[in-house]
Amino acid sequence: MQSRKLRFLIAPVLALLVLATLFTGCVNNSGETTPAPTTAPAAQSISVTGSTTVLPIAEKAAESYMDANSYADIQVSGGGSGAGVQSVGEGTADIGMASRDLKDSEKEKYPDLVQYVVARDGISVIVNPAIPVTSITLEQIKAIYTGEITNWKELGGPDMEIVVIGRDSSSGTREFFSERVMENTDYVRTQLEKNSNGAVQQTVAQTPGAIGYVGLGYIDSSVKALKIDVDGTLIEPSIATVTSGDYPISRMLNMFTKGEASGLSKDYIDYILSPEGQKIVEEEGFVSV
Amino acid sequence: MHNWNESLIRGLWFFTASFAVLSVFFIIFFLLKDAVPLFQTVSVQDFIFGNTWNPTGATPSYGVFPLIVDTLLVTLGAMVIAVPLGLGSAVYLSELAPSKVKAVAKPAIELLAGIPSVVYGFFGLIVLTDWLRVAFDVPSGESWLAGSILLGVMALPTIISVSEDALNMVPQMFREGSLALGSTHWQTISRVLIPSALSGITAAVILGMGRVIGETMAVIMVCGNAAIIPEPITNVLSPVRTLTGTLGIEMGEVAVGSLHYSALFAVAVVLLVITLIVNLSAVWILKHIRSKQSAEVPKRHFISPNNEWFWPAVRAVLAVLIVLAVFFLFPPLPAAVLMVFLAALIYAKDRISPNISQKIAFVLLRGAIAVVLCVLGIILLYIIVNGLPALSWEFLTQPPRDLGRAGGIFPAIVGTLYLVAGAISFALPIGIGAAIYLSEYTRGSSRITGIIRTGIDLLNGMPSIVFGLFGFAFLVIFLNFGVSLLAGMITLGLMVLPTIIRTTEESLKSVPTSVREGSLALGSTKWQTIRRVVLPPALPGILTGTILSIGRAAGETAPILFTAAVFSKRFLPTSVYEPVMALPYHLFILATNVPGATKNQYGTALVLLILVVAIYAVAIWIRNRYQKNVRW
Repeated sequence: MQSRKLRFLIAPVLALLVLATLFTGCVNNSGETTPAPTTAPAAQSISVTGSTTVLPIAEKAAESYMDANSYADIQVSGGGSGAGVQSVGEGTADIGMASRDLKDSEKEKYPDLVQYVVARDGISVIVNPAIPVTSITLEQIKAIYTGEITNWKELGGPDMEIVVIGRDSSSGTREFFSERVMENTDYVRTQLEKNSNGAVQQTVAQTPGAIGYVGLGYIDSSVKALKIDVDGTLIEPSIATVTSGDYPISRMLNMFTKGEASGLSKDYIDYILSPEGQKIVEEEGFVSV
Repeated sequence: MHNWNESLIRGLWFFTASFAVLSVFFIIFFLLKDAVPLFQTVSVQDFIFGNTWNPTGATPSYGVFPLIVDTLLVTLGAMVIAVPLGLGSAVYLSELAPSKVKAVAKPAIELLAGIPSVVYGFFGLIVLTDWLRVAFDVPSGESWLAGSILLGVMALPTIISVSEDALNMVPQMFREGSLALGSTHWQTISRVLIPSALSGITAAVILGMGRVIGETMAVIMVCGNAAIIPEPITNVLSPVRTLTGTLGIEMGEVAVGSLHYSALFAVAVVLLVITLIVNLSAVWILKHIRSKQSAEVPKRHFISPNNEWFWPAVRAVLAVLIVLAVFFLFPPLPAAVLMVFLAALIYAKDRISPNISQKIAFVLLRGAIAVVLCVLGIILLYIIVNGLPALSWEFLTQPPRDLGRAGGIFPAIVGTLYLVAGAISFALPIGIGAAIYLSEYTRGSSRITGIIRTGIDLLNGMPSIVFGLFGFAFLVIFLNFGVSLLAGMITLGLMVLPTIIRTTEESLKSVPTSVREGSLALGSTKWQTIRRVVLPPALPGILTGTILSIGRAAGETAPILFTAAVFSKRFLPTSVYEPVMALPYHLFILATNVPGATKNQYGTALVLLILVVAIYAVAIWIRNRYQKNVRW
């Protein structure tokens, strides 16, 4: 009798205990993430998360900042623009990175996010080096991505099917491309979708008929960046043309903090915006602000 | 006093066993909770049967029909590749292999199960897709075929080991009886052994299918991810996009709380439903054989009225399926030729002498195992040859520099070890407790143990990406742990829990009842018996299960993608609320996000491979050693 009663008691008691430990965990957590006072040289850590486009800048800057300030621990992770905004808004990260502006829904949900423009980026259209085409108009790019043009011979190239490579539908880069180039029309449904700039670049490099779009930083000898034909003037995607505003497809890269940045977050963002930090921006193939 | 202790202990084990059920309930609840907002805007029909998946178009559309079709097509293709090869290898290993060959080939195939899926994906991305592009002269090799080949290879170890077990379970007297009647070895295999083991083999195929449907990372890397139904539907070179792939590539960038976010959770629910159907049917079939074997085997009749209609029916269904598949996969003319050829084969089958057909069959079986071992060899060799130059003391002991292009992977190695240690220390007590409850405290099957068992089976069949989504929605966001070591540990722990429960329960069951009865007869209590008599001999089995779980946890990417992993972190984590670097995630990022990191990519792949394979090798060694030593 007694033992049976106890059996019924034990399970709920244990359940409570486990829940209690879980929630103590929560409380501890929110206590710990508040940044330590900046004056103390004690070890400090911040986490930076979000867009894979901004990631190289954040990572390189974090590396050299940590080399100079041994007390700092800056953790950088990718995940994407959405995850970046979400994490900083919810307080699970100190800095969020996004390759796009805040959406209205995000502004509404996290009204106290502060935006820092850390760099500019040109979106370059790349093709496999086997394609002899060297320039393209925005209309032609759009026609390729909507599926109206399907063969390189229509653009004066060889008789070869165009392999259209784009980004996944939640990518900030794709969103920008949709607005600026596609004017919000739908993509051809056979487009191969990749989840990062690097994956697009790699696929274009190993697929002879491929076309794709990536940030300036991802151009190297394995792919060919097309010049954009604007009313007969050929504009090469480069830091110079993006800075001058001639290159037609460029955007801002952002970092967000919850409220004004303070402590290590502020020092780190200031470092990125300093001449030294902007040098890193240019080394990684982006355009300084 | 004793009484009190005993019930406390029993209650504790009951609680741990209920944990699996609670987790399943929780996972489903949290997925549904985040999926529901979608259906306030989009109807269920439009969602399931809608033909366009374009969540960010000018007019967003959330139709998952192409994704479901593509998932099924990729799975079908993988099975077409994996079932003949797997079954052939299993028959060879169980019936034909000389003991020396068996001693090498069997562990080698089990090691194939230990290769992390991101390593497969990496191999597929760099080698397989490029080879397909050249071989078939198509614009891009990223296709249904690439996904099916890769997933087929990944499903092979499961299919081979489970069907080999099923073949081994066929009583020896069946073989002897058949041979004594004058049948050849091949006739015995094809007419007696395979039919007797058929339900076990079916279960093997379904388990393999579960693995294929739930796979994420490899699929993202080789399928092209275009959300279209192949045109025509037999076009194996068309790019496709699976349900898991959609979650893997879109989850990261999506704005939390948006309609798109809900849609992704709804995709996860669809995926869950499909895998649940697959796994429940596997459970049902396994239960079916178990009851058959325990009750019927001693006096089983081959020519029972049951079998008279059953086998012809199975054959007819199989024949129709084959005809359909052939006409599906090939243009009409080759299909017709193939059908004539098959018909000729069937006609000739009973007319050529048994010896010749045995020779042909054995050549095919040997071919199957040769292909399997070759594939394993090629993948391993490719990664070893390319990865070795990157390995150095610095690579193993330094943090990464220049986005992982230079420097080492030390924090990733340590991070992986932390994650695994945490996952195991979370899952091991609960898993062993649940297994003790299920094996020692339940007699027969009550409703509650039935529910617990089903819960564990469901947990076992969940795709790893679903764990990742749950970890993100519940641990990272709802409990506000943030992307952290803790969230990763719990997510991975939940994922390996069923493996630990299963293997522990199996090894507890292998301890004979007489030993327990002897101990109880001497006056020990139930718990004393379990602790002093039952657990010690079961320990090697428990250890094997634990080590296999460690290997699985170390190699998984999808569950930590959104819960624990960061791309770079110079210092080791000092608390469980900090995120970590992890080897599989590092490889995934290097392979897809960082241009010019080729050398370190291969190096990371090799280190991950060595780590996981070493863990599996230890598990296999322990099992073989104790299997020989423990005799009752």
